[in-house]
Amino acid sequence: MTDERRWLDRLCERATRALARRTSRRSFLTRLGTALAGTAALPLLPMARAATESRPPVPDDAALHGEVGDPKSCSYWRHCAIDGFLCSCCGGSQNACPPGTEMSPLTWIGTCRNPGDGKDYIISYNDCCGQSLCMRCRCTRTEGERPLYLTMKNNDLLWCFGTQSRAVNCSVAVVLGVATRT
Amino acid sequence: MLAPGVAAAQGTSGPALDYAVTCQGCHRADGAGTPGTVPALAGSVGKFLRVPGGREFLVRVPGVAQAPLDAVLNWMLDRFGRDDVPKGVVPYTAEEVNQLRRRPLTDVVGARRQLVEALERMK
Repeated sequence: MTDERRWLDRLCERATRALARRTSRRSFLTRLGTALAGTAALPLLPMARAATESRPPVPDDAALHGEVGDPKSCSYWRHCAIDGFLCSCCGGSQNACPPGTEMSPLTWIGTCRNPGDGKDYIISYNDCCGQSLCMRCRCTRTEGERPLYLTMKNNDLLWCFGTQSRAVNCSVAVVLGVATRT
Repeated sequence: MLAPGVAAAQGTSGPALDYAVTCQGCHRADGAGTPGTVPALAGSVGKFLRVPGGREFLVRVPGVAQAPLDAVLNWMLDRFGRDDVPKGVVPYTAEEVNQLRRRPLTDVVGARRQLVEALERMK
């Protein structure tokens, strides 16, 4: 019994001294502080919250039949006023630019009617800039377009303004919201 | 900025829709514009009402065509210029806009520069 206690005492003493040699109180406090601050900051990360709050209502394309529901087709419902190469065919999507290109902040905006729900959606045709012309899925549709002398409403122009490069690669068709006439 | 969440709930209509379809492509949803390319509306558009000729300029600047321009201008001043509009300013009317649109600007950049210089002299 006595021997055993001594053995346990010695073990504990050795372990404690080893721990004390390796670490300091300050380092423990540093780590504890980091952990506490990290835990507190975790809910601030922008993860899913931003995605759920800022998404406008986009109708489900699965309800559409044929080319009107195919983002790689000129007849796709969002493409009613598109003039250019579809990013969906160029390594991007109807919402996103292909890798290596930059979305122009200046854009041509119009409305397109969704045949699925009959609503008019506000569509932004942003050019993706920084690569040469994609040359796939060339579309020219002109709903709501106006002649060239009304430059703001003409979609023949290249819209790579405010980007690092003026070279146009393709165009996206992003839903910005629902248009309702009151 | 017209929060997409709001648009999601109610849809966009009236002057907000006219702004989205006619102006927002260049001036952006939050009126920030693109520095060096498109002038900002936010924090800027209301200041034009402080100098002589500024009120008229906002109507006559091309690109802002389309029907209910008085409503869009009043909406823009409220949204992007609330802190800058001088007290006592009356809203635009359709009649005023129609009169001013009959005299289009030929030198927009020059006219704008004069107004901005007049604003800077006021500081």
